[in-house]
Amino acid sequence: MSGKLYGFLILVLERHLIWALLVCLILIGLMVPGFFSVRNFVNVMWAAAPLGCMVLGLFFVLLTGGLDLSLESTFALASTVAIVWVLQWMPDLIWPGFAVIAVPLIGLLVGLINGLFSVRLGVNAFLVTLATLLIMRGIVIYLIPEGVYYMPDEIIFLGSERLFGVLPISVIVWLALYAIAFVIVNYHKLGKDIFALGNNEEAAYIAGVDIARTKITCFAIAGFVAAIGGLLEVGRLQSAVADLGEGDILMVFAGTILGGTALTGGVGRIGGVFAAVLVIAIIENLMNLFGVEPSIRQIVFGFILLGAIYLASLQGKLRIRAEEPA
Amino acid sequence: MTARTDAPTSYALERVTRLFPGVRAVDDVSMHVRTGEIHGVIGRNGAGKSVLVSMIAGVIPPTSGRIVIGGQAITAANATPTRAHDLGVSLIPQEPKFARNLSVIDNVFMGRQPTGRFGLVQRRRMADRVDALLTEFSLPVDPHQRVRDLSIENQQLLAFGKALRIEKARVVLLDEITASLTRERRQMLLELLKRLARGADPISFTLISHHIAEVLEFCDRVTVMRDGRAVATLDTVDTTAEDLAAWIVGDAPAARAADATPPSPLRKGAPVLQVEGLARAPAFSGLDLDLHQGEVVGFAGLEGSGKDAALETLFGLQPASAGTIRIDGRPVALTSPRQAMHLGVALLPKHREAQAVIQNRSVEENTLLSSYRRFLTAIGVIRGRRASAAAAEYTRALQVKAPSLQTMIDHLSGGNKQKVMVNRLAMTTPKLVLLNEPTRGVDLSVKPDLLRVVRTRMAAHAAVIMISESEDELIAICDRIFIFFKGRVVHVLRRGASDFTVGDVFREIQGVSAR
Repeated sequence: MSGKLYGFLILVLERHLIWALLVCLILIGLMVPGFFSVRNFVNVMWAAAPLGCMVLGLFFVLLTGGLDLSLESTFALASTVAIVWVLQWMPDLIWPGFAVIAVPLIGLLVGLINGLFSVRLGVNAFLVTLATLLIMRGIVIYLIPEGVYYMPDEIIFLGSERLFGVLPISVIVWLALYAIAFVIVNYHKLGKDIFALGNNEEAAYIAGVDIARTKITCFAIAGFVAAIGGLLEVGRLQSAVADLGEGDILMVFAGTILGGTALTGGVGRIGGVFAAVLVIAIIENLMNLFGVEPSIRQIVFGFILLGAIYLASLQGKLRIRAEEPA
Repeated sequence: MTARTDAPTSYALERVTRLFPGVRAVDDVSMHVRTGEIHGVIGRNGAGKSVLVSMIAGVIPPTSGRIVIGGQAITAANATPTRAHDLGVSLIPQEPKFARNLSVIDNVFMGRQPTGRFGLVQRRRMADRVDALLTEFSLPVDPHQRVRDLSIENQQLLAFGKALRIEKARVVLLDEITASLTRERRQMLLELLKRLARGADPISFTLISHHIAEVLEFCDRVTVMRDGRAVATLDTVDTTAEDLAAWIVGDAPAARAADATPPSPLRKGAPVLQVEGLARAPAFSGLDLDLHQGEVVGFAGLEGSGKDAALETLFGLQPASAGTIRIDGRPVALTSPRQAMHLGVALLPKHREAQAVIQNRSVEENTLLSSYRRFLTAIGVIRGRRASAAAAEYTRALQVKAPSLQTMIDHLSGGNKQKVMVNRLAMTTPKLVLLNEPTRGVDLSVKPDLLRVVRTRMAAHAAVIMISESEDELIAICDRIFIFFKGRVVHVLRRGASDFTVGDVFREIQGVSAR
């Protein structure tokens, strides 16, 4: 094999394996009727946007070496509180569109609380966010046990409307969040601080990084984007239900890790997690198109995920091999 | 306390040499240690002590020569830790390797539990033997306690007990084991060593140390290492501390490295740092110091003498328990590195990999980490081009050998990593630079470069305090050297005075000065 081609292959395999995986899935999809159409692609992206937001949130927390189980509850709680506030507690007093502003702020606050508890009080983040996961889900069930099925357009337009009748606003929001995150991670001081402390906390501390503030900021960002994800999902479904997002956190972890984010902190790329969200969405889409029985869908999905995660894990091994001089 | 001179040989080194690229770490060393003897190996840092010991323990194979233990030889061809272990060698390191989350019992018997029928472990027998061991070595610990809850000195004693009683070691190597022991514990250990050495078991102890007083107190004979060679083996009863110091220092060329940088005190203006009565109990106390821009001051002392604690206190890593610190005349209370850096203090920590390098990130990010603040727009986005250009300038100035600024720092050599760390400090434009062993783990060829940078570039704009384990380095670049001994500054050597020599620094550190 020529040196250049070999070098390219190594580069793909060691840094962009997830993209290679994505291309494979699309190639498989080409053989399936109905896959390769603008309409289908739009639908895939539309369905992926809410998950994409939560994955982005977890990405930030994992980079600092922390973790946040409560994101799926934040996802539901922020929208629920805002909707109930606007429609029940103060009906006709507040413009319903206010909910769109309130949702991310509620998410931010929840994230801040998670962060303060786990960082300032030094309680394990797993336990703190497990507790807030339960508390927030409980509040959602208490507030809307039967769900809310009528909502004004001002609240749901982000998740339901399309720009020029084609591109869902939801997808634009998702892409915009990833673009901003890309800038933060790569070109903002916050990003540099996050990677520094994620890789070597003691060294970052001695180098003058504000460890506690950076970690708490990441929890806050996670709550913020997860809440936006919830709003998009509410708009897409045009309803809010008590089990909104319940159980999704495992898929969020799958996506974040599949995208190459290290559980130990300090390693990860925005592009990787973005591709991983697409991979998950396309797998689901392909199963729909193949007409996989709903009863066995979870089994099939589990196996595909296992394979994908194994492939992604090769990436780390390849990198080690590439670094060892022959 | 001399061992019988006719005692049989416990182990012997025959013309052992070990080469590393560019260095003769151990050079044609022959020595023999008798059964029943406590033998010291002493020398300055880099004299070859630890390589020598690693060879006896089979960890590093010799390049040539052989080590004979009980009639069997360890040579380049067959050296392995297992072989040395089978011949009865046991090395007790400064920080013993235990499974920290397992109990004392489980650690003592790890891999060789006594088993009965069906391969079941005999807990009762294990517990009894451990109890006996703990009593013999006066270890006040519970056999079921987890090892992580033991103090480091108790862990050392436990490792020692395990080597003797469970592994039945015949050649016991103790690496700086007494450094962290309290006075009473040292006494206890000394008596224990003597009793064991004179006991029925054919056993020898080899004590690696750079404390003169300790070697004279503990050992029957001592071998002095200098520049990789064994220059003398002395009976301690006939040797004074001054004699031993002279052997260790030898005819060390007075500040050979100095010709790289003819230092002249460049004191400028008012003092940058004024310290009065600074203390952090119990590590150090009573530190007074005035420091001007352009000056380089050295802190010298043995491990645990308080020099590291003093440096850390000046950076806010550890709170002071008494005294005042003034920077530019204003009293300050240092509480965190972040705040210290705002006041213009910068620290190069001692453990580069653990405390300074950000792994998995580029040379550029590692260089800029402490100074991104200078390149931010109003919303905190980094002005990438300006930041890169500045980093590139510093990188070029120190001749950091890296393919590009975007190279992962992990691919650089120790010396180049250290240059990146020095640049990180320099980019914060500090008034006061604190360096803890800047040449530690740095290739020989880079050391003079780094020292020159400290003396010329850093001292040009700041006051510098440097800790070094090498007396040569201190003599080469410092204007004053503060000698720490047991938590206090006992002496200050000044450039130009007659006692500003490597030998004097060494003697002062050891507390064996002629005064």
